Amino acid sequence: MPGVDVTVEVCGMAGDGTIAAGGMINDAMSHGGFSVLGFDSYPAEIRGFGRCVTRSRVGDREIRALDEETHVLISLNDEESKSRVPVLTRDCVVLFDSNPPVLVEEDRSLVAILDPETRLFPMPFGDLAAAAAGTQRGRNLVALGGFAAVCGADPELFREAIRSKFKAKSQSVLQANLKSFDAGYAYALEKFHDRLLTMFASADLPKGPEKVMLSGNMAIGKAALDAGLKLYFGYPITPATPIMEYLARELPKRGGAVVQMEDEISSIGAVLGASYAGKRAMTATSGPGFALMTELITHGVMAEIPAVILNAQRGGPSTGLPTKTEQSDLHAAVFGGPGDSYRIVIAPTNVTECYYYTVKSFQLAEKYQTPVIVLTDFYLDNRVENVPMPEAREEDVRDGNIYPNVSAGEPYKRYLRTESGISPRSIPGQAGLQFTATGLEHTERGKPDYSARNHMEMSAKRFRKIQGALADLPEPEEYAPDGPLSVGVIGWGSTFGSALEAVLAARERGLRVGALKITSLYPYHEAAIRKFTSRCEEVLIPELNYSGQLISLIGRLCRKEAIPLNLATGEPFPPSLIRKKIEELAEAGAQ
Amino acid sequence: MSREHWVVIGNGPAGNAAAVTLRKFVTDARITLIGEENVPEYRCNLLPDFIAGALREEDLFCTPIQRFREMDIKLRLGQKVTDVAFERGELKLAHNEVVRFTGMIIACGSTPSIPERLGMFRDLMLPLKTLGDAKRWIEKLARVDSVFVAGGDLTSLCFTRALLALRKRVMFMLCPDSFWPIPLSSEVRRSCSARLEERGVEVLDCAKIENLTRLSEDSVEVKTDAGSLVVGAVGAFFGLVPNVRFLARTGLDLERGILVDEYLRTCVENVYAAGDCAQVYHPGIRAYWVSIGCPNATEQGRIAAMNLMGGSLSLDVPQENIFEVDGIKVNTSWWMEL
Amino acid sequence: MKTPGKVLADKVRAIGEAKIFEVRSESLPTWCPGCGYFGIHQGLNACIKELGMPLHKVVTVSGIGCAGRYPFFTRTYGLHTVHGRTLPVATGVKMANPDLTVFAVGGDGDGLAIGGGHLPHVARRNVNINYLLFDNSIYGLTKGQPSPSSPLGMTSKASPYGTLDKPLNATLMALTYGASFVARLFAGDPKGITNALVEGARHPGFSIFHIYTSCVTFDKSFKTWEHLKEWVHPLPKDHDPTDLRQAFDQVLQDDFSVGVIYKRG
Repeated sequence: MPGVDVTVEVCGMAGDGTIAAGGMINDAMSHGGFSVLGFDSYPAEIRGFGRCVTRSRVGDREIRALDEETHVLISLNDEESKSRVPVLTRDCVVLFDSNPPVLVEEDRSLVAILDPETRLFPMPFGDLAAAAAGTQRGRNLVALGGFAAVCGADPELFREAIRSKFKAKSQSVLQANLKSFDAGYAYALEKFHDRLLTMFASADLPKGPEKVMLSGNMAIGKAALDAGLKLYFGYPITPATPIMEYLARELPKRGGAVVQMEDEISSIGAVLGASYAGKRAMTATSGPGFALMTELITHGVMAEIPAVILNAQRGGPSTGLPTKTEQSDLHAAVFGGPGDSYRIVIAPTNVTECYYYTVKSFQLAEKYQTPVIVLTDFYLDNRVENVPMPEAREEDVRDGNIYPNVSAGEPYKRYLRTESGISPRSIPGQAGLQFTATGLEHTERGKPDYSARNHMEMSAKRFRKIQGALADLPEPEEYAPDGPLSVGVIGWGSTFGSALEAVLAARERGLRVGALKITSLYPYHEAAIRKFTSRCEEVLIPELNYSGQLISLIGRLCRKEAIPLNLATGEPFPPSLIRKKIEELAEAGAQ
Repeated sequence: MSREHWVVIGNGPAGNAAAVTLRKFVTDARITLIGEENVPEYRCNLLPDFIAGALREEDLFCTPIQRFREMDIKLRLGQKVTDVAFERGELKLAHNEVVRFTGMIIACGSTPSIPERLGMFRDLMLPLKTLGDAKRWIEKLARVDSVFVAGGDLTSLCFTRALLALRKRVMFMLCPDSFWPIPLSSEVRRSCSARLEERGVEVLDCAKIENLTRLSEDSVEVKTDAGSLVVGAVGAFFGLVPNVRFLARTGLDLERGILVDEYLRTCVENVYAAGDCAQVYHPGIRAYWVSIGCPNATEQGRIAAMNLMGGSLSLDVPQENIFEVDGIKVNTSWWMEL
Repeated sequence: MKTPGKVLADKVRAIGEAKIFEVRSESLPTWCPGCGYFGIHQGLNACIKELGMPLHKVVTVSGIGCAGRYPFFTRTYGLHTVHGRTLPVATGVKMANPDLTVFAVGGDGDGLAIGGGHLPHVARRNVNINYLLFDNSIYGLTKGQPSPSSPLGMTSKASPYGTLDKPLNATLMALTYGASFVARLFAGDPKGITNALVEGARHPGFSIFHIYTSCVTFDKSFKTWEHLKEWVHPLPKDHDPTDLRQAFDQVLQDDFSVGVIYKRG
């Protein structure tokens, strides 16, 4: 029987309770055992205007991405909902207010521009809310009731979600909200009794561990706590601010501190100072802040000081599009800053990986004595997925430092040229092991030195040290059958989920295609990448940037020129676009 | 300069014919076809066959929606017109939307009528006009074995055939005025009853229903002037009335339906009416008559559209004849299709 | 009048007397003979000795400039960071391990130009670090450009027609930013430096030491040793360092009084 795969949107204006409604859909469906991926769009400005849209994809199998198709639209504000019409399927279910307070002209009407196949379910949201609870404020809950009835979702799941969302409020508020929901549910059940759908009836919901709805940002925050973060220094910037705010609440409870610094430069400066002094510290920022940090990041590279920097990418360049997603800081993360300043760059592809890679980044930073940049993007940071609550493994959390084993009397060489390139480092407070860390090129003892041979050898040392991290970094993962492939898709960051979904859809149509996930962007596993690309007739690299940054980094590892698929729309990468390109390439190749 | 906007109210055969015809005449004006039901046009005369299981639901529909896109006719389904301000050229939809129009063809059809004195039993009787009605009948007939068919209009005869095909027990009551404006003569009634009895239908010798009582969800007690009986369901087949209540205070001349001349013009300029909802004046007979049946409606829709575009076609009155089914003839083309 | 060489000799002797060799690293300072930084070095080394703190529990953080080389010349832990970022880096070090004693050192370019934006915040936060601002009113390492504390009309290769901007007053800034310990000192008086440093290091909050010094190589006209010796004098005997208003008055009317100007309890 066909599975469940429904994308539901709630669209309204600021103040309509749109975001709350979307959140309750996520919670209810998650408790119902479905996989859920949700992503909201907020108004960019602070004032009360602006469109809010929540999108939730609900399914009985693993959901990896949002696509460009919406199957159900709950319109809390028709004017704003008009903007969503291009992504609605032809036979989309649309719940809308049948009794809005003002007359709407045809050219401003939502219903007027919908296709005739659209399944309309007009309900008097405001009137039902007022009748049930004495106020129109519960309109969004009335609409949820209608949604549950029309689409065949278990209303008890929603009541549970309402109870848990409003449990901190007074009983009267909770009861009013439940009444509003029930009013909508009853009305729709009766009025549309001959048109009710069963979109969520599915016998095959996989059983598994208890799941929670977690956003990328929250996963990162929890990961930092679980990894023993002591100090967070940061500066507010969209979309990284929630990490700082979460840690500001939680870190002091564990004996740590969050300091909001005066800018991003001082933030990374303090992180380096704290790491130098032996404590785990991190900062999180976005493109413009990351640019400010670049000088000090390369200082960390030269002076070999650990640091964990999270760059939550957003639309650029410059101030760019603060509330839109993009993957255009790869070059800045890998190459940014003066000189050959190689550092570790990791990019998680989903919420669970946000957790595990953030945990691991502290240990990697310590062991390889380098800034580690974790690259996420607005979409990944703000989207919610229901996942089993992640827990850190002890082996990923333990101290990664390699301490010196120097007998007294022997002068300590902080920057000893070893085979691995890792020079055991002392921490201030350790007697007899004093040294000065410096951003100038230096001898093994750490004394400034500009001679030719020294610079050559120290550059080589730093380079091989970072290359050595390949052993500890996540390897690329193939999602492909054995043998030759007509198209191989390489994805990174949040785009990988879309790429994988496209590949699986193409495979269902009989194409021999596969996907490769790369999470270690620098250093990258050349051999493993080549192994995949060597069996692909064509290599396709979709990215959310205009210029093709991953392709310029690893394109040379393909037998022939890799094919870019670049989007600079500020929106998550739709799997359907990748699938169409795969089919196009496969077809061209077949001829 | 904004485009002209021609609006057709009603998604039945009249409305569809009107819209399609309008598009033949104008290429750049907007044309919108508004229908109250949530489905595109379907052949309501085939509903009894659908109920009998001889047809699938998809076989009922007439035109793929894609055709309307190709013709650039905006199809608005599941939307109801609740008011019209003709002097301003504005109509209001149930969800508080205002649509401006240049000219209009009203083809909102008819709905099953329930005699006033039986109004209180409305919930206990099921008509058969729409696809929704048909689906309710299918659901009901899966649970009951006997049906009381009250009224006896054209639809009831086809419906009875479906019931017989489903091997249901049918009790039939012929009301004399089911065919307004055509009175059923006693001769026709007799031969009709005979035909039905031949088929195994119990034709009741009663004149009216006095009471209906719900005994359970699938059981109703019917009390007529000739006695009582218990059946699974009661069907209301008392004929159709034009569906024009929403136009009551808009200034249009209304009687039982919308009064129009032989060119299908209403009393408002650029506003025409066609199909079941129209009461057409015939200068020859100097009276208004109502048409029944799809081909009549289609023809009227076509003519209304052409006249709205500047034509001057007048309508021929169909002959006042009696129908035939299984030996009984009526000259309304609906039956000719059988 | 003492020659630069004589000044240097005096310093060397003073160093020997202070018996603080063990603080110095084996690297010879790269400063020019006669540079005021020697005096500061001497003063700070003596402070560390007097405080009795083990060298491995002291961290010296520096920025870019001649002053930036400072950590290489001591046997403490050192962190030579990028231009202007001494204070935030030092903040991170101290917050990570409050048992360490942290000295942040930098010149007037590091502290007042590129780093100027960090001073107010480290003062607001009252981080318990000790900041030595070596003010010679010039950019020495890059060979003689004006700094934010250079006088109006100063000529240099970068300002052949004389500077047009008024100089900043670091002590006044420190008071305005609410620093809880403000001292103004003279590199020609290492003892005075040591005394103030000891007091400031013991002060549980942010201590800033604005130290006048001379760049013998590039400044031949303004802050020469001759001028400084003439201009610099101690604070009035009745100066009450706990009185903020008095501190402001003092600094507004007198650019060259030295000592502990303000100290908040």
